[in-house]
Amino acid sequence: MRRTWTALAVLALVALAPSACDRGAGNSIKVVIADYSKDHTRSFWQSLSETYTKQTGVKVDLQVIDWNSIDQQVSTMLQNNQPPDVLNLNSFSSYARDGLLYTADEVLSPKTKADFLDAFVQGGQYQGTLYGLPILSSARAFFYNRALLARAGLAGPPRTWDELVQAARKIQALGGGTIGYALPLGPEEAQAEWSIWMWNNGGDWKSGDRWTIDSDRNVQTLSFLADLANKHKVTQVNPGKTNRTDGAFQLFKDGKVGMVMGFSPLAAQLDAEGKVDYGVGEMPTNTGTSITLAVEDYLMAFKRKGNQESVRKFLDLYYQPENITRWIAAEGFLPVTKSGLEQMRSNPKLAPYLAALPRAKLAPTTDPAWDKVKLDVQQTIGLAVQPGGDPREVLGRLQKNATAAESGR
Amino acid sequence: MQLVRASLGRYSVTGLYQGSVGARNYARLVEQEALPTVVANTVVWVAVVVAVTLLLSLALAQFLNLEFPGRRIVRWALIVPWAASLIMTAKLFVWIYDYYFGVLNHALVSLGLLAAPVDWLGDDATVMGAMIAVGVFVSLPFTTYVLLAGLQTIPGEVYEAARVDGASRWRTYASVTLPLLRPALLVAAVLNVIYVFNSFPIVWTLNDRNPGFGHDTTITYMYKIAFKSALRDVGLSAALGVVNVLAILLAVLVYLRAVRWREQEA
Repeated sequence: MRRTWTALAVLALVALAPSACDRGAGNSIKVVIADYSKDHTRSFWQSLSETYTKQTGVKVDLQVIDWNSIDQQVSTMLQNNQPPDVLNLNSFSSYARDGLLYTADEVLSPKTKADFLDAFVQGGQYQGTLYGLPILSSARAFFYNRALLARAGLAGPPRTWDELVQAARKIQALGGGTIGYALPLGPEEAQAEWSIWMWNNGGDWKSGDRWTIDSDRNVQTLSFLADLANKHKVTQVNPGKTNRTDGAFQLFKDGKVGMVMGFSPLAAQLDAEGKVDYGVGEMPTNTGTSITLAVEDYLMAFKRKGNQESVRKFLDLYYQPENITRWIAAEGFLPVTKSGLEQMRSNPKLAPYLAALPRAKLAPTTDPAWDKVKLDVQQTIGLAVQPGGDPREVLGRLQKNATAAESGR
Repeated sequence: MQLVRASLGRYSVTGLYQGSVGARNYARLVEQEALPTVVANTVVWVAVVVAVTLLLSLALAQFLNLEFPGRRIVRWALIVPWAASLIMTAKLFVWIYDYYFGVLNHALVSLGLLAAPVDWLGDDATVMGAMIAVGVFVSLPFTTYVLLAGLQTIPGEVYEAARVDGASRWRTYASVTLPLLRPALLVAAVLNVIYVFNSFPIVWTLNDRNPGFGHDTTITYMYKIAFKSALRDVGLSAALGVVNVLAILLAVLVYLRAVRWREQEA
């Protein structure tokens, strides 16, 4: 009978006796990278590792891990007392809080550090010190289906929330299964979709050190989203139970959807399929200023006796402009360095995202509590836009948990 | 045993061990709001999948035990859902059930059996049923083969004897086949309870769009506690893991005890 690969097995890994750490002091480093794409991620890091070994004589134990299981695998490494030397992840502050990381000054040359864009230096600080080194970034943008907009008699994409409701109504009214706005508030990435709507109504996650998830403004925003689904009925069915990749994006790629929040990898897929004539613009706003979400992913260097020099050389190699920019361009993401920004500015495909970057905001990843708040939002916020959902109650619960996570462990 | 040790520990979000907390994780587990729902889901999931699988497998095994042209092909075809990876099967069913693209809605609406499409995996009323159907589908092959093997050990003479006594076909089945099939049924039931209880990929994949814990079983809930919920707590998750192991052991023991007891009574 087939072995059931269950979470039990995952936890059984916890149970494996920690085997002795056989990495010699400076002879080998373990590098764990998240898998951004099948085509580019492994090949880039493989060749970078080979170059590094040639230059330094230090071997690289490279592990490329898919996003679905990276949290769990890294957690297992730490439980077994076998942390990586270099780790790539979308969060860093919990590791910094636990005292596991080198500061940027300990493992980067001043020149490398000076090349980082300011916003991403801000986004990588824990209690004022840079630990989370920016590896790449991305930004969301507003995608619209030109053909559907034209059929609905719309001259261009909406700029305000009122215009968005009108546009979505007209597109939905075309019938034949067309959808005005595809709203993914399922567990996959609900916090990203929610951030963008929240900010474009003048709300925020935090005010200073205090969480403000249940502010009146945020309740108003979430009620607006619930209305899109239940009162205006201009979203796909069950938006609180729709994920991004296999839900909202899939529908947009199929030409059923008028508008959706996307990012550059979606554009690449749309271009490859050539089925939908789409435009990319700014998120409609309810305050007059359009704000988008930027996402910064991180590299972290773990403290281990005798690895500092090896790690420093590895990071310096990655941050050489030709390496980092070559990879970010191949993956279709956005730069995190000044030199990279200069080089990528000329790419017209990236123009909408680069234009939005100055007014983009990051999620509060610098706060260790965010690692829990994010998951809480993913598992909860969709319930508020289901029929009978209560936005104020849902946000109140999130606020309570966030405050508790802050003061707890 | 390391699982037990983990269940007594306090862990940071990062997975770093921060010392022992004794039995506190178990106390906290009982306090979890979602736990009653999750336990109820697990009971329904295991009981219905195993019961329906056994019933269908009995019929299928009987059918495959008949001589008919093409039997070999049908027997091979039955292995397919068994041989395919559970995750691939589950992903396939996600698309079959899909509200917009799914074959199921398309077929039912075209045939006039449904007035409008149903969001099988999003509607709270249908998620569990949809998962159970897939659970049964992947459990059928193994169960059917166990029962088929059981059927083939029943000697032809007992059927002849039944015929001579003038028993009806239904009477023969109830009084001859079923009792003689009992060892095979027992094996099939026990193994199925264990496999279905531990089944992660189906529930995880078919339920991944639904926020919260309303359709989780204890196995997927255990994973969510550790990595996908605001708890993010390996110690608490390990505590549930220990409880899971004990629960399944207990369930199987109780079942075996009940069956043996009935046997002695008969």
